[in-house]
Amino acid sequence: MDATVPDHRADRSFASPSDAELTRLVADLGVALGPDRARSDPLELALYARDAGVASGRAAAVCFPRTTAEVAAAVQTARRHGRPFLGRGSGTGLAGGATPVDDPVVIVTTQMNRVLEVDVDERFAWVEPGVLNLDLTRAVAHLGLHYAPDPSSQQACSIGGNVATNAGGPHCLLYGTTQAHVLAAEVVLPDGTVTVLGGLSPDQPGYDLRGVFVGSEGTMGIATRIAVRLMPDPPALRTLLLDFTDVDAAAATVSGIIADGLVPAALEMMDADITRMVEDFVGAGYPRDAAAVLLVEVDGLTHGVDDAIEIIRRVGTANGARTVRVAADATERNLLWKGRKSAFGAIARIAPNYYLHDTVVPRTRLVEVLRGVYAIADEQRIKVLNVFHAGDGNLHPLLVFDGREPGVMERVHAAGDAIIELSLSVGGVLSGEHGIGLEKRAYMRSQFSPDDLHVQAGMRDAFDPDGFSNPHKVLPAGSRCGDVQSLPEGVWV
Amino acid sequence: MTALDSVPTTQRPMGVAPQGPLDISDDDLVSCVACGLCLPHCPTYRVTGLETSSPRGRIAAMRAVQFGGAPIDTVFERYMEECIQCRGCEAACPSQVPYGRLIEGARQALHERRSHDRRRRRRLAEWLGYTVILPRHRLVIAATWLLGLGQRLRLVPRRLVPRGVALPLVSLTELRHPLQPTAPTAPSGASSGGPSTGNPTNAFDAVLFTGCVMDAWQRGTHRSAITVMESTGAMVGLPGPGGDCCGALHVHAGRTAEARRLAERVIASMPGDAPIVVDSAGCGAALKDYGHLLGSPEARAFSERVHDFAEWLAPRVDRLAVRDTHERVVVADPCHLRHVQRQTTPVRSILAASHRTVDTDDDGLCCGAGGAYNALQPDLALAARERKIAALQRAAGGAALTDFRVVSANPGCLMHLMAAGVRAVHPADLLAEALDPEHPRWPRDAIRPEPSRHPGSTP
Ligand SMILES: Cc1cc2nc3c(=O)[nH]c(=O)nc-3n(C[C@H](O)[C@H](O)[C@H](O)COP(=O)(O)OP(=O)(O)OC[C@H]3O[C@@H](n4cnc5c(N)ncnc54)[C@H](O)[C@@H]3O)c2cc1C
Ligand code: SF4
Ligand code: SF4
Ligand code: SF4
Repeated sequence: MDATVPDHRADRSFASPSDAELTRLVADLGVALGPDRARSDPLELALYARDAGVASGRAAAVCFPRTTAEVAAAVQTARRHGRPFLGRGSGTGLAGGATPVDDPVVIVTTQMNRVLEVDVDERFAWVEPGVLNLDLTRAVAHLGLHYAPDPSSQQACSIGGNVATNAGGPHCLLYGTTQAHVLAAEVVLPDGTVTVLGGLSPDQPGYDLRGVFVGSEGTMGIATRIAVRLMPDPPALRTLLLDFTDVDAAAATVSGIIADGLVPAALEMMDADITRMVEDFVGAGYPRDAAAVLLVEVDGLTHGVDDAIEIIRRVGTANGARTVRVAADATERNLLWKGRKSAFGAIARIAPNYYLHDTVVPRTRLVEVLRGVYAIADEQRIKVLNVFHAGDGNLHPLLVFDGREPGVMERVHAAGDAIIELSLSVGGVLSGEHGIGLEKRAYMRSQFSPDDLHVQAGMRDAFDPDGFSNPHKVLPAGSRCGDVQSLPEGVWV
Repeated sequence: MTALDSVPTTQRPMGVAPQGPLDISDDDLVSCVACGLCLPHCPTYRVTGLETSSPRGRIAAMRAVQFGGAPIDTVFERYMEECIQCRGCEAACPSQVPYGRLIEGARQALHERRSHDRRRRRRLAEWLGYTVILPRHRLVIAATWLLGLGQRLRLVPRRLVPRGVALPLVSLTELRHPLQPTAPTAPSGASSGGPSTGNPTNAFDAVLFTGCVMDAWQRGTHRSAITVMESTGAMVGLPGPGGDCCGALHVHAGRTAEARRLAERVIASMPGDAPIVVDSAGCGAALKDYGHLLGSPEARAFSERVHDFAEWLAPRVDRLAVRDTHERVVVADPCHLRHVQRQTTPVRSILAASHRTVDTDDDGLCCGAGGAYNALQPDLALAARERKIAALQRAAGGAALTDFRVVSANPGCLMHLMAAGVRAVHPADLLAEALDPEHPRWPRDAIRPEPSRHPGSTP
């Protein structure tokens, strides 16, 4: 394979600013936004050095705009001072997408957190990017509506971040990822001008630039207002917990259910260690001695839901499920979901650090891939926990470790490389939902040919011809294929 | 080349044994995986949107100091002092990061440093408050009395009352009347103005801890609590001398040594093994934490005896003869009950027969009161309160503040909310109102032996 970089400016580097340059930059940002909303205290900057991933970098300044005009002003000010910039929502990203590289101005959207307009009849809402995913659902709950994409981080992550990473979640199995729920976005482009991509009517003429922007991880500008689709709450909703003494049996049940023609609203799997850990936190009645559990949700009209429950029960039992429990009420259901959605966060119960991959494999290959993942971890003497969106084959093998142990990072990366190689070898893809960001970009070459990458780089250059918007993200650097250590200078894990 | 040497790092440098200045456990500090799931549960993050006023950010700042050589300067101090210590983050954290321990350790380091260089005026004021007044109950009562008088004479200087943190009127009548549970309490050495002291031995079925500030400001609520407890047939005692200030404010301020001394006094004031009932969530949380604060088996045994008022009452509530008032009340769980003591069901079950309780949709986000917080950080406290009030009104179906009552079991929250015009009331007062006066109280004999602490409530 050709190892040269496709020619794109997104990988342009910016020299570190001098102290005098920094002072002028912050002063100008202060003029644009108000002095208390642009800051550069070293300790404050350190708190913006990373997201929920492992890589950390360094920002030149951090600012907190409240309007589209202020975002545009921040972008223009950064550019005028020759600094790149980076949009940041809640910083729950898992791929280092919001990790500042090359001393950018970090533009934080947390103070842009209003739901601007809700149209009940047309079922859409205009929101600011800093609105939290779950807050949006809560704000429209009394109307019998909800926002469907529900990442496990939904209580904390922002809609802007969801758009930028094309976030998925348990219920995206049936309803589709963020992509399917964003109608339009007002965007401050990397040159500081404002435009609206997409529109409220379903079929927009011309190229779907909205579709290009969703999932662009901050490399094509900053979303400042987003029109999202709202879904009516289903009339009936049931959640099932299936409990297995064997991981293979659980994995086989997953493909069995879907092969039976049923697409549940959600179909999640957790292995033994994760199940015990979340049970310690939520006390939802997860079996502590299971080798794996499946959490399945079905929704729709009442009789359809009843039929679906029967199918799941039958397939589960045929594959050796020990028990099939249907949550009795909303409290029980919410507790079960709280457990599932706490899984990544609960990791520190086992070890202080984790490194997470997010590959997608064909459902029919789940059994062998899972076996392979455990074998790889064993070989590297790293503990691996599996909790994932089983229904769409979106793995989340969590490699847990203690960063204080010398040499452990090398083994973690070796295991990560092997997991990716395994996933791609069965026809899988690199990332299901967390994005590529900084941490996964070196793997892009494993999935895409130089021609593919070249086309992607051309798209990015069309939005950001000078490479100012979140540099060093998504597209790989000019380095050896698959080398995770090739983080840009100034970043460390 | 980017030189990272100068950047305070928020992560632990690998293979480097730390020698940090904060007295907090390394393992506690690294247990945060920076997932951010706590962010929405933090009142100061919610109102500012700043990482610096978030739990994750505060932990990262502690790491920068502990592992990265960042200085303990005024910036660090501000981040730590802006924390309300409501511990909403701790309850929300799936990694179960012991945030309370972390912030108390950081505050202690700050307090020690401040003892050297804090401006003299503030040091004097702090000394007066924490070391002179709070531990001396008569002084708390006297100060309160003076304040009450001053309020009536409009003598309280505006300057002394932080903006918007108006204090509710102190009841002077209450202050003149010591608490008097029904016999056989033989008040030994009760002085007028001070709390009446009983003989808290096994002669009682429960001892009501009265606290310092709460006893001075809300003695009426203690009266209600005693009435309600006695209506279940229980014989209620009061703490002996020294059983007033629990030291919670001292722990929050990082004055750990003083807090330990106060804790020992409180333990000595309530010997025996009768359950200790606390009608202030903040005090209850502090008393339940003595085991950890002092680390001794006696302190742990003492903490085991401590129950929140609603927690103690819930298993006995059937003995109360209450009438159904049909009143709808919105529950504002005090943080020290919800996040620290993890008690949310009892208050709802003790009110079930007399009131219709309604919940807010904010996962119990802190109202901003936080002990002395509202006086020290008025801006953040007011912003948090505004948010809380919006949630209370949503829960009440958009009703005007004057049209519904809010129930909360912590004096700090009650006063903070009342100062904004919320009709906030303690559950003991609600229940006392609803007691059926015609109905005879439950006979004492029928209730012995005392039900033991119900499972699941041990921290
Ligand atoms: C416990 C846990 C569970 C998770 N579960 C899931 C899951 O189930 N599914 C899933 O998809 N993800 C999941 N994630 C990852 C993460 O929550 C999502 O990627 C989320 O979309 C990030 O949102 P954020 O607001 O935190 O964005 P940030 O982390 O702040 O930013 C993420 C990226 O978006 C860019 N960005 C942010 N705001 C804007 C904007 N307004 N305009 C342009 N670019 C912007 C940033 O530059 C960055 O590249 C999980 C994370 C955690 C910690
Ligand atoms: S304190 Fe807990 S919830 Fe908050 S970021 Fe750290 S690990 Fe996550
Ligand atoms: S204790 Fe309360 S104010 Fe402090 S960080 Fe935690 S949630 Fe925020
Ligand atoms: S919590 Fe506060 S009011 Fe209650 S006893 Fe302790 S210090 Fe006094």
